[in-house]
Amino acid sequence: MAHSSNSNLAHHFVDSEQQFDASKMGMWIFLVTEILFFGGLFAAYIIYRAWYPELYIMASSQLNTTMGAINTGVLILSSLTMALSIWSAQNNDRKKTTIFLAVTIICAIIFMIIKYFEYTHKFHLGIFPGAYYTFTGIDHVKAPQFFSIYYMMTGLHGIHVIIGVGLMIWLVIKNQKQAFSSSYYTPIEIVGLYWHVVDIIWIFLFPLLYLID
Amino acid sequence: MSGHHHLSLKVLLGTALALGVLTVLTVSVAMIHIPSPFNIVVAIAIAAVKAYLVVMYFMNLRNDSKFNLLSFGFSILFLLIFVGITMLDTMFRVEVIPGF
Amino acid sequence: MDNTTTSPNIGLKLKRFTSPDHPEVNFAQAEKGIKAWLTTIDHKKIGLMYLGSIAFFFFIGGLLALLLRWELWTPAKTFLDADAYNQVFTLHGAIMIFLVLVPSVPAALGNFFLPIMVGAKDVAFPRLNLLSFYIYLTGAFFSLYSIVTGAIDTGWTFYTPYSAQTSASVVSMTFGVFVLGFSSILTGLNFIVTIHKLRVPGLTWGKLPLFLWSIYATSVIQILATPVLAITLLLLIMERTLKIGIFDPTLGGDPVLYQHFFWFYSHPAVYIMILPGFGVISEIIGIFSKRRVFGYWFIALSSMAIALMGFLVWGHHMFVSGQSTLSSVVFSLITFFVGIPTGIKIFNWVATMYKGSISLRTPMWYALMFLFLFTIGGFTGVTLGTLSVDVHLHDTYYVVAHFHYVMMGGMLVAFLGGIHLWWPKMTGRMYNEKLANLSALLIFIGFNMTFFTQFILGAKGMPRRYYHYIDQFQSLHQFSTVGSWVIGLGFSIMLFYLLKSLGKKGVIAPKNPWGGRSLEWMTQTPPVMENFDYTPVVIHGPYDFHKPIAEFEYGIEGSDSHGHDHNSEQHDNKHSVNA
Repeated sequence: MAHSSNSNLAHHFVDSEQQFDASKMGMWIFLVTEILFFGGLFAAYIIYRAWYPELYIMASSQLNTTMGAINTGVLILSSLTMALSIWSAQNNDRKKTTIFLAVTIICAIIFMIIKYFEYTHKFHLGIFPGAYYTFTGIDHVKAPQFFSIYYMMTGLHGIHVIIGVGLMIWLVIKNQKQAFSSSYYTPIEIVGLYWHVVDIIWIFLFPLLYLID
Repeated sequence: MSGHHHLSLKVLLGTALALGVLTVLTVSVAMIHIPSPFNIVVAIAIAAVKAYLVVMYFMNLRNDSKFNLLSFGFSILFLLIFVGITMLDTMFRVEVIPGF
Repeated sequence: MDNTTTSPNIGLKLKRFTSPDHPEVNFAQAEKGIKAWLTTIDHKKIGLMYLGSIAFFFFIGGLLALLLRWELWTPAKTFLDADAYNQVFTLHGAIMIFLVLVPSVPAALGNFFLPIMVGAKDVAFPRLNLLSFYIYLTGAFFSLYSIVTGAIDTGWTFYTPYSAQTSASVVSMTFGVFVLGFSSILTGLNFIVTIHKLRVPGLTWGKLPLFLWSIYATSVIQILATPVLAITLLLLIMERTLKIGIFDPTLGGDPVLYQHFFWFYSHPAVYIMILPGFGVISEIIGIFSKRRVFGYWFIALSSMAIALMGFLVWGHHMFVSGQSTLSSVVFSLITFFVGIPTGIKIFNWVATMYKGSISLRTPMWYALMFLFLFTIGGFTGVTLGTLSVDVHLHDTYYVVAHFHYVMMGGMLVAFLGGIHLWWPKMTGRMYNEKLANLSALLIFIGFNMTFFTQFILGAKGMPRRYYHYIDQFQSLHQFSTVGSWVIGLGFSIMLFYLLKSLGKKGVIAPKNPWGGRSLEWMTQTPPVMENFDYTPVVIHGPYDFHKPIAEFEYGIEGSDSHGHDHNSEQHDNKHSVNA
């Protein structure tokens, strides 16, 4: 049983195990809301795809499968390194914790850079969201709708990646100030849970957007 | 119930490897032409397996409280309810004025 | 009476902890000054801040209601022009739903009493709780700011295409509601974890007060439904700013799809609003009948059933929207089923009162009002759920009457009942019961005058949200308007006696004026900062009125865990309870 005479135990908890379990449960509940939040966009995707299946096949050709696949690999790697940073914290290895967090951050930045290139390429072609869409390469009246959904899904996902980077930088700073150890690493655990869900959302986005035939 | 189940390095690396393999599979399968709607079913199925691995091993739900697993399950269930019942409308509308 | 005992099942040695009615330093005195309140992480102060804010917004929403009823005194313009009228009813609805009803019982009473009822010192995440309050205020600010920049006139439902095209400040209002959603989500999250993790020894799920079961069910809905509202509003904002074309037909979108997205949250939202009220009614009827609430598990589990089944019926708001006949039929059928768990509750409450020792104090009057008014509201909901009937009644005053009967006659009345039940505990003061009963009577009479009339108006064909109406409806409208003034009078009296009770000449209340058995009645009045000076241990159920109060004051030494784990025997036992 974790023996704590430390300041990490809040006064309303009986012991640190109760606090750790409560924090994890809280984060899982929050992730439920994230799944339903993104889920709304998946719903819009599914409904429009069921209405206009031919549109989705045509429009998907404008998405770069290679870049999408690299991004998928990058995020999976980042999930691994995030889990490894928690593993390091559990083993009381402060240095490794920081290193793995840093690698995760780098992966996330690579992801965003690739996204940047994807987006700018599309803008160059006139593929903008909604009413600003001027691309003529897809012969379908609902083409703007596909890309609106594409931008909403990948854009919202990208925002969540950026937030994740912010959280991880905060973790690195705190870890360097020796705030974490094998008896208290709760913030790393719960940021890890968040990051894995960001990865999972991309795991579904990739085939649904990039790999339509 | 323990909150501090230690992650195992072997399991983490193994999971990452499996995810990599499945990603390669995802892309390869997309190159083969599978008739609709089965192409979607296959793609989602592979993604679901990947998500399962991330949830069970990276997020350690395998060794965690059943309540957290239940919560996650409910989120998927209610998402499916939302999409499914909405499609009872969107897929079954009758053209009131043909060609409009 | 033994001052020590052993708790059954767990085998803890217990001591009896009697405390005087009033503590030397209560929670409000423990940290003084405005800054202490604004930065507090104490759930009781946060609950009271919510209560004050909610009361304030209710006052504004109520003024808007009086305004719009006054405008409807004559069939044409009385003093507002048509655009202003649209803005008034939109704001009235948005404020009442998002700023008052959705937070109401959970944020104000739930925050104050949930931790005490489980014997804890605070909610699971106290700082998150304070953040939730500030998010609520931020959301309220953005919503009300829209009044200044171009008050919206779309109705609280923001239907497209109008909401995507109108020049009013839709973005400000919808962004405000988006932010408010986070407050709701975080509160629900906090409550679920608190109930799971922070119960004291002996407090099994079967001994939870039914109020907590209803708060739990409400929190589940908040978690599952609110995110979908969030994405809907975000998409609406994008529709207006980037013209993404998902919901607006002129941009290639589908307006009925908006309604699916919107109502997927907004129907469960009505259960977010009513379930906590059901919980309060259970508490009141139990205490003032001095009987165990009939069918405890039926009431507890019916709350969960309502929470889950409530997600399957949203399309009954859309029968005439153009959705497929198939979905309309499915939604209508499931809507009939969703009334069953609620019906079970009504029967169980009445059964609780049968052969009980009824005490007609103010909270009980509110509970009785609730039973009458909510039942009417519930029945008329089933009427509206009948597909063929709804084709005639949709968007008429019948709908307006129905939802005011359930939301105001039901939820608000339950909220008022809860305030009158727990006022002595929160404030340490007792209000003037004669005035309280008078106020309740005026609200009851005024309410029926205002809204029963509207069932008639609606059945005769008066459309809702209409500024002009035909001359034949004028006398009914005027009667309804007079009713609104009677309601206003009732609330004015309430404000007066509640504030008076807090003043120098206010009557001091004892710690358990009603003889309740749940843990909040065992704390001092008002409670100390950490709620209890000991760790309570529960050995009886919350409605065991036949057991003497002394048997509810058992516990074990020590509420102090400032960084120290309790000895392992005690906290092993604690963990065997918390699952």
